[in-house]
Amino acid sequence: MTDDSFENVILELRRGVIVLAVLSQLNREKYGYSLINSLQKDGLEIDQGTLYPLLRRLESQGLLMSSWRIETDRPRRYYMISDEGRTLLPRLKEEWNNIVSMMNRMLKQGE
Amino acid sequence: MNLIDNYASEVGRRLPRKDRADIEAEIRSALQDLLDERSRSMGKPIDNEMTFEVLKEYGDPEKVAASYHGERYLIGPRLYPFFIKVLRVFFPAIAILAGFWAMVNVSRQVAPIENISGTFVSVLIGVVTTVISALGNLVLIFAIIEWMMRNEGFTSKGNVQPTRREWDPRSLTRISPPNQIKLSDLITEIVACFAAIVIFNFYPQMFSLGFTSGGQWYLGIGNWTFIPLLSQAFFHYIPYLTAVWVLTIILDIILLRMGFWNTTTRIVSIGLKVIGILIATSLLVEPSLIGVSASSFAAVGLVASSDTIGVMIFSLNQLVRLILLLIIFLSGLDIIKAIIRIHRPSFPGAPQGK
Repeated sequence: MTDDSFENVILELRRGVIVLAVLSQLNREKYGYSLINSLQKDGLEIDQGTLYPLLRRLESQGLLMSSWRIETDRPRRYYMISDEGRTLLPRLKEEWNNIVSMMNRMLKQGE
Repeated sequence: MNLIDNYASEVGRRLPRKDRADIEAEIRSALQDLLDERSRSMGKPIDNEMTFEVLKEYGDPEKVAASYHGERYLIGPRLYPFFIKVLRVFFPAIAILAGFWAMVNVSRQVAPIENISGTFVSVLIGVVTTVISALGNLVLIFAIIEWMMRNEGFTSKGNVQPTRREWDPRSLTRISPPNQIKLSDLITEIVACFAAIVIFNFYPQMFSLGFTSGGQWYLGIGNWTFIPLLSQAFFHYIPYLTAVWVLTIILDIILLRMGFWNTTTRIVSIGLKVIGILIATSLLVEPSLIGVSASSFAAVGLVASSDTIGVMIFSLNQLVRLILLLIIFLSGLDIIKAIIRIHRPSFPGAPQGK
């Protein structure tokens, strides 16, 4: 496998967890750039071109809510998990744990 | 206007108007955050060079705008197989017809074409032009259907969420639920109605008899003379037929969007079939549907015996009447089927009409 193919596989794996990662970080409200930093601090690199459209999509699905606020003479859009998102998050976490357990079992069997 | 505003506008002009201002504001805010951070980490004030660098990292405005759109198609995966089927069926026919008409047109030119290669090139250009034009029209029809089928496009929140009817495993069996639409039937009907509208309204000369100067009825290069095949009486009905075809296309597009038949659409369909039958019946009782007569032959300088012309007119009249009877019979069958389906309980689990 070439480096490019490996990178693509990693990218695909990460893409699957972005929604869960974003929802998990928005218990407190954050604006886009602060969210990128917070995800980055925990080891998940995400570019702006992916994050902002995703935030809009999650908001349109009712999982996030947002509001514009003027701070230091500049408008910023703050995102936060909605009630619907809060209800969904534990179910997503449970599903994630199931996936991790299942993959661990499968990978152990394959060794 | 500074660089950031210009960049945001570049992205915004590629986005739907209703989302533009909001997305542009967010991009401006995000870029400003990036620049502040860069300025802090580099320990120097924001300048043009730094802004260029940040904008380059943010990406090509076209790509950034595309990331808000999601996947968009002129002809999407759902329609593509039908598009290919229609291409395979229609294109050989169109190419043959185009070849024929190109040869006829070349032969009708006033100046005689003396070299064979010139004639060949003219025919080839005619065929290619017609085929490309037909392909363009076909793509246009499918693109319109694709657009109409997109129940929800780019929503106000910038999210592409095509909503589709839940897939029913029963569609794998040969028995189709009576209320379920048949995509291939509807698309074929739309293409056929569109073709009929174009041909009867814009190319009525396609229905004519062509003769070479020698009066021989075969295809050849020479001076061609045309006699309209269908009578004026027939063409008086074209506006009514066109209205029925247009309404049929509209009904089919509505059905494609809904994904199933209900009582209202069935009643509209029955209404259109009844109007179609009425028009076909009116045509049947016309004294002659054929425009060919002894005088029309004489008018173009062709001599034929009255027996020959009589047999020809009779045969053509019978052929057209046979086609009309067939249309009436098939429409009648469709009406009976539709009435039965309105009254019969639907297939369990099929989408219910009102």
